[in-house]
Amino acid sequence: MSIISAALQVPGLDTTTLISLVWIGFIVITFFYQTRLQSYLALNDISRGLNKLKVMKDKARKDAIDYLVNVGKASADPTQKVDQFLDYVTIMPVDIDPAGLVGKIDHVVTTNNDRVRAEVAQLLPQNNPVTVSISENLLEVATSLNQIHKIVRHFYLLGKKTNSYFTLIQLQMLMPMIIQEADALLNAVDSFKMGQPVGDGIGPVVVSRYMAGKEKRIVAKDTVMAVTEYKGRKLYVLKADGPMAYVGQPGVAMKNIVEEMGVKPSAIIMIDAALKLEGEKTGEIAEGVGAAIGGIGVEKFQIEEVATKNKVPVYAVLVKQSILEAITVMRKEIAEASDKVSQVVNRLIEEKTKEGDEVVVAGIGNTLGVAQ
Amino acid sequence: MMSSVPAADKKSKLMVYTIEECPACGQKTKRAFAVGDYVTKDGAKCTKCANQTRVALVYAENTKPSG
Repeated sequence: MSIISAALQVPGLDTTTLISLVWIGFIVITFFYQTRLQSYLALNDISRGLNKLKVMKDKARKDAIDYLVNVGKASADPTQKVDQFLDYVTIMPVDIDPAGLVGKIDHVVTTNNDRVRAEVAQLLPQNNPVTVSISENLLEVATSLNQIHKIVRHFYLLGKKTNSYFTLIQLQMLMPMIIQEADALLNAVDSFKMGQPVGDGIGPVVVSRYMAGKEKRIVAKDTVMAVTEYKGRKLYVLKADGPMAYVGQPGVAMKNIVEEMGVKPSAIIMIDAALKLEGEKTGEIAEGVGAAIGGIGVEKFQIEEVATKNKVPVYAVLVKQSILEAITVMRKEIAEASDKVSQVVNRLIEEKTKEGDEVVVAGIGNTLGVAQ
Repeated sequence: MMSSVPAADKKSKLMVYTIEECPACGQKTKRAFAVGDYVTKDGAKCTKCANQTRVALVYAENTKPSG
């Protein structure tokens, strides 16, 4: 107040002029320092998000170590090994000459998966396949959260160092989505530790009903198949080997069924979880054509190859869910959709094939907590 | 390892249940999830026809937060 009073003592300076001067000063400061001010606010915002991500990745790491020690009964302290896993990198093959690229990606990914499983199994003396598979998944979650934290931290520090307004603003805008995804990953940890089926396991849940009481055989790594009949059609039903937290190799399995076993399917029916758009209901069923399978694309490519080469139509039955619902314990709405999915599959078999035909039915997804 | 207390998600108050179904009479029984449960696992004897039940589903549902 004393400054204002003193200012008003200046001859010719009344209240209105003073307010105008303050406004002009504010506009000038805003004009020149707006981006700096916004960068400062963005830095604060990102910093808060970064702290959240750090807490999340530390929790996932601790949970993985605790699981290995308490449930897996690790023979030695697994901390050092877990820290090695967190920084383990998979170098994707060069793509400037794309011919044969899928095979190369498959080779790199399979090598990585085999290495992780062998090293986890080495840590756990009981070598229980369910415990080993859950440990693999927990390490995968911890590694993903570690990577997310590292990448966000990199751009945060880079933006801060170079005072790059656009880097910081882009990161600030992406932060809510990044946190949401990280939160979904962290929530998945609890479901994995308990061995509960996740939303992504809806495909395996449905096909496990066709496989019940039938003889199973391994048709690809971590993938089982059973032969059954439905209204005169011979069904070759496949899913990942449960109740382990496996996704299997449905692409290789289909190739083996068609090319090695000599099966001539009239249709391939794939059941999988699909990410819903905002506004869509969880557990909604969508039908379509094409290979219903996620991942980096290797399995999808293999299925499309087999289907195209043998001119087999591929039908998809999808159960809608969010990313959080897909990787955490299966929600009631998703589980209850399984009856409707079975009806849709049966209808597809009846409509698209005739008696005496052979049909491949594949339940795609993580089969944790779903045996056959 | 076996737990009779339903697993609960602290944030969304999710309770996890196991549904056992009798393949003979179709009777369904809902109980709290216990560690070690999985779909197709043998369950308890059916209270209606004494046949062996099987775990048909394991799912979580929202419950009203207490208090």
